[in-house]
Amino acid sequence: MLAIYYIVIGVYLNHLGYYNRESIFYIEKTKIIFEGVGNRIKVMGLTAPLLPFYCSIIFSSVNTFLAPVIASAIGTAGLFYLIAVSMSSRIKNDDFYLYLVVLMFFFHPGIVYTATSGKAIYLVLIFFFLFFFNLLKFYRSNTTFHVSLASMSLVTLIFCDYKFIWLSLFFVPLVLAITLQSLNLGEKESIFRLFLSFNSPSLRRKLIGKTFAIYIILFILPIASIICYKLLNLTHANDLNYFIESPYATWTVLVDKLNYDMTTAATNYQLPELSILVSARVIYFCPLILVAIYLFRESTYQALTILTPFAFIEFLHIEYDKLYLTYEYYMVFLVLALLCLIFKAQTVKNQRVFKIIVALVVLVQFYTGFDFLRNSLIPEERSYMATLLNRTPNTDQHESMEIADYINGLPKNSHVLVDDAVAYPIAAFTNNIKQLTLPYQELFLSGIETPYKYDDYILIATAKNPFTGYTQLNNRYIPLIRIVNSGINYKRVYETDNWVLYKIISIQ
Amino acid sequence: MSISIPELLANDGFITPGDQVKIKSFAETSGMAYVKIALNFGYISRKNYERSLSNAGYHFAQIREEAFDPEVLKQVELKFANDHLALPLRIENNRVVTLMADPTDQLFIDFIRFTYDMEPDIIIAYDLDITWLSHKLLGEKYVKAAVYELLRRDPKSSASITFTTPQLVVIFSLLAIIAVGMVLSFKNTSIILNVIISLFFLVAIIFKLFLALVGSRFELHQAVSKEEVRNVVNDELPPYTILLPVYKEDKLIKKLIWNLQSLDYPRELLDIKLLIEEDDDKTLKAVQNLDFPAVFEVIVVPFHMPKTKPKACNYGLHFSRGTFLTIYDAEDIPDTDQLKKVVALFAKLPEHYICIQSALNYFNRNENFLTRMFTLEYSYWFDYMLPGLDTLDIPIPLGGTSNHFKMDALVELGAWDPFNVTEDADLGVRAYAKGYKVAIVNSTTYEEANNEPFNWIRQRSRWIKGYMQTWLVHMRNPATLWRKVGWKGFLGFNFFIGATSATFLVYPLLLAIFVCYVVFDFSTIRSLFPDWVLFMAIFNLMVGNILMIYVNMMAVFKRRYFELILFAIANPVYWLMHSAAAYMGLYQLITNPFYWEKTNHGLSKVNNPTNVVK
Repeated sequence: MLAIYYIVIGVYLNHLGYYNRESIFYIEKTKIIFEGVGNRIKVMGLTAPLLPFYCSIIFSSVNTFLAPVIASAIGTAGLFYLIAVSMSSRIKNDDFYLYLVVLMFFFHPGIVYTATSGKAIYLVLIFFFLFFFNLLKFYRSNTTFHVSLASMSLVTLIFCDYKFIWLSLFFVPLVLAITLQSLNLGEKESIFRLFLSFNSPSLRRKLIGKTFAIYIILFILPIASIICYKLLNLTHANDLNYFIESPYATWTVLVDKLNYDMTTAATNYQLPELSILVSARVIYFCPLILVAIYLFRESTYQALTILTPFAFIEFLHIEYDKLYLTYEYYMVFLVLALLCLIFKAQTVKNQRVFKIIVALVVLVQFYTGFDFLRNSLIPEERSYMATLLNRTPNTDQHESMEIADYINGLPKNSHVLVDDAVAYPIAAFTNNIKQLTLPYQELFLSGIETPYKYDDYILIATAKNPFTGYTQLNNRYIPLIRIVNSGINYKRVYETDNWVLYKIISIQ
Repeated sequence: MSISIPELLANDGFITPGDQVKIKSFAETSGMAYVKIALNFGYISRKNYERSLSNAGYHFAQIREEAFDPEVLKQVELKFANDHLALPLRIENNRVVTLMADPTDQLFIDFIRFTYDMEPDIIIAYDLDITWLSHKLLGEKYVKAAVYELLRRDPKSSASITFTTPQLVVIFSLLAIIAVGMVLSFKNTSIILNVIISLFFLVAIIFKLFLALVGSRFELHQAVSKEEVRNVVNDELPPYTILLPVYKEDKLIKKLIWNLQSLDYPRELLDIKLLIEEDDDKTLKAVQNLDFPAVFEVIVVPFHMPKTKPKACNYGLHFSRGTFLTIYDAEDIPDTDQLKKVVALFAKLPEHYICIQSALNYFNRNENFLTRMFTLEYSYWFDYMLPGLDTLDIPIPLGGTSNHFKMDALVELGAWDPFNVTEDADLGVRAYAKGYKVAIVNSTTYEEANNEPFNWIRQRSRWIKGYMQTWLVHMRNPATLWRKVGWKGFLGFNFFIGATSATFLVYPLLLAIFVCYVVFDFSTIRSLFPDWVLFMAIFNLMVGNILMIYVNMMAVFKRRYFELILFAIANPVYWLMHSAAAYMGLYQLITNPFYWEKTNHGLSKVNNPTNVVK
C-alpha cells in the first residue's frame, strides 16, 4: 500500500514535469543499453552509481521514464518492510513504535522525497540500515554471518554512493574496540579489558589476530570490489576513476558543480555548512538521534558506532569542500535513529514518558524535515518541494524536452551529433536514440572530426550553458570545424538559451 | 598344560581378576570367545599374549600355507570361526586339523567333535593369521555380496556401468551439434556456448553464496548441546560399530589406537572393525607387532575386484553388530564426545533421519600451503555448505568419513556402491531419493590434510571422478530423479554434484581466454563475446572469484583460524590444481572408472593431539 501511495505521488510529480538530473541520467543510459547501437559494455558496467542504475533498469520494462520513480517507491516501501519486520521481531507486544514508523513513512517529507523523487537515496538508506543493523547484531551474537552481511551491505552501499567508502575510515579504530569487547574476559570496563589484553602474551596474540581478522572480514570485500571495479574502469575506459570523475559515467560530476556554483552565486545568504554546524544541522534535522545515543550510553563502543556517521559527514564536508551535503546524508541519521529504537526502545524502564518524548520528537522532525527540504542549499531539492506544494508544472526540463521534441520531428534517417556528457537530458527525451551519435559509440570521435560524413545535425551547448566547459561540442566547436572542413556549412535550425541545433550542409 | 588360557593369563598378571569377570560376562552376552574379547577390546596386547603362551610351552605355527579341505570348510560358518579365532582345515589321521588362537576354547573343541565326529588336532596360531586364513577361505560369499548386492537389488543405482547407451547418445549428439554448429557458423556457435557457460557459472556462484549464507546463519545453532551430552546415560547406549577401512597404513596404527581409546563411549559397546585387504601384509604385521592392547577387531577382506573402500566397508558390514555405524579413516581424530552426540541427536530427530554427518577439518592445517588451502576448503564445505544444504532440504553429499548411519537403514539402502569411488556422496543422494534425510551434527573429526601436491591431485582426481560417476548414475533418468527428490533436490544435485566437476573442467579454459584477452587483446576473442555476454563473463570472473574467496574467509573466521584468512586469496591458484585433478579424473572415468586412486596418509609431521571435548 505504501508503495502504491509513493508511486501515485511520484507519477503525479512526473506529470507535473518534475525530473531530477539523477533519474534523467539513468533514463538516458537505460535507453542506450536497450535501444542503442555500438559498444554498450562501458555503459552497462561503468555507469555509476551502479546499483541504483540497475534497479532503475529493472523497472524500465514498465515505463522507461517512470522506472527510477517506481524503483524508489518500491525500494522505500521495502525499507519500511525491513524496519517493520525487525521492529516487530524485537519489540513484542507493543505496536506503538510500529505505528510511529508507519506515520513517518507516510508523512515525513524526507521519506516521501526519498520514495517519490526517483533518486537513489532509498538504496543508500536500505544498505546503510542493513550495515548498521548487522553490525549491532554482530556485537551481540559475535557470528560470522552478521559481520559478513555487514560487509556485504557496506559493499552495496559503496556501489550506491561511492562517498560511503569514507565511512570505513572511521571504523578502523572502532574495530579494536569491537574485538576487545568480543574477547572472553571477566572484566567489563573497556579500558581495563585493554589493559588485561595487552599484558598477557596469549591474550595479546588473540587480540591482534582477531582484530586483524575482523578488519579483513569487514573491509576486504569493499576494498577488493573497489579495486576490481577500478581495474575494470582502467581496462575499459583507460582511467581508474572514470566512474567517479567522468560526466559520461556519473551524473554527480556536473550536478555537484552546478549546485555549488548556483548557491555561491545566489544573492540571498543562507546558513552555511560550517564544520561544527554540520553536526548541529543533523541534530536539528533529526533530534531522534540524540535519543538513540542516549539509549546506547552504557556501551561505549556501541555509542561510538552510532557516532561514526557524524564523523563521516564532518569528514565529507572537509574532503569535498566544494559540495553541499545533500538530503541523503541527513536522512541516514533518521534511519539510524529508528534502528537504535529497534534495538533499545524496550530497555527503557519508564515507557510512558519515553514514548511521549519519542512521539514529540517525531512530530518535530516532520517540521524540520520539511524545513530542510524547502530551504535546502541544493536547487533540485527546493524545486521538488516547490512542485509538491504548489502543484504547478515544473519547468526545469522544459528546454531539454523542447530540443528533444524538435529532434523527434527530424526525418527518421537523419543523425544528430550529441555529447551526452552534458546533453543527456535531451538524449533521454529523444524518442529514437539510434538517431543520435553519442560518445559511447566508436564513430563518435570520427563524427567530431568529420561530422558531415556521419551526421546531419550537431547539437551545440551555447556559451550560456552552465556545462559548456564540459563538452567539446560548444560554441568554439563550429568555428574550429569550419576551418578543418571547408566546403561544409552549418545552419542554425533550432535555438534555445542553452542549446543550438545546427544542420550540416555540404556545399561541395 | 591342563590350565586354561584365561587362568594362564590371570596367573601371569596380564589380566586382572576384575577384567576377567568383565570378559567372561561379555563373552556370554556376545557369543564371542574369551580370547577374541581379550585381544580385541583392549585387555591384553598380542605380544603379551604370545609371551604368556610361549612361557607355558605353546608354540605358534605359521599357518598361511596350510593345506585345507573344502569339504571340511563347508561345515563351518565364517562368523563363528571369526568369533572364536579358530578354523578347522582338513582331516588327517582321523583327526580334524584345527587352527586355534586359544587351544583351550572348549566351545569350539566341542563344535569340532560334534560336527565332524572326530577329535581336533589343534595347531596354535596367531589370531591374525587365523583371521586372515578364515576370511580368505570362507569369505567368498560375503565378498561377492559386498560387490554385487547393490547391483542385484537396485541395478539402476549401481555405477558398474559408467555411461549408459542413452547417455552416450546424448553426449555424442551434443558434440556433433557443436561440431556442426562450429563448421556452419563458428562465431554464433561460440557465442551460444559462451552464453550457456556464463549463465551456468552465474547461477552456480549465486547458488553457492546463497548456500553459504544460509549455512552461516546457523553458526550458533547447537544440534546437540553439552548439557544433552552430559545427560546421556551410559547403560542405555546402543552398540556402535566403527568401520576403519585401511590399506597399507602401517605407520598409523599406533595413532589410530590412541584416537579410538579417547572416544567417550563404553568399551564393550564399541564394535570397531579394522578392515584390512588380503594382500596388505604391512598393516597386518603392524597390528601383530603392537606392544599394547588393541581396541579393534581385524577383518580381512578377501581379494575381489574392484578393490575399493566401499567394497571393504560392505564386507565389514556383514560382521558388524552395532545399532549405529560410522566410518573413520585411520588418521582421523574425532571429537571425543562425537558418538554420544550422534546418539543424542538420533534420539531427538524424526525416524526418517538415517544418517548424521559430522564436520571434517584438519589437524595439520598450518603445515604448508596445501594444508592451509585444504583447511579453508573443508571449513567452508562442512561448516557452511552442508548445513546450507541441510537447511534447504537438498541432498547432502556425505563426507568420506564420520558419517553415522542407522544400521538397519543402511542395509536397506543396499549399503555403499563398490563401483563408485565417492560412494559416500552417492549414498547421500540415494538415501534422499528414498525419502530419508541426513542431518549435520556440531562435532568435528580432524583428519590429516594432504600435504604433498601429487598425492593431493591423485586424491582429488578420485573425488572428482566419483562426483562424475555419481552424477551419471543419478542422471540416467532425470525425470525419475526429479520425481524422487523434487525440484529443489534436482537442482541442488545438479549444481552441487554436477556443477562441481564441470566448473573445474571449464575454469582453466575461461581463465586462458581471459588472460589472452587482457594480454593480447585478440579482436577474435572480443567478437565471440557480445557486450552483454562479456559483461556477464566479467561479472562472473570478478564477483565470482571475490565471493568464493570471501566465503572461504568467512568459514575460517568462524573456526577462529584467523591466521588462515589471507590464504583464501590464493584460491584461484588452488582451483587450478582442482582443474588438473578434474582432467585426470575425467581421463580415468573413461579409461579406468573403478580404479581407486589411493591417498597416502601419515605424511604429516605435525603432532596430532586428541581433540578432547570437556
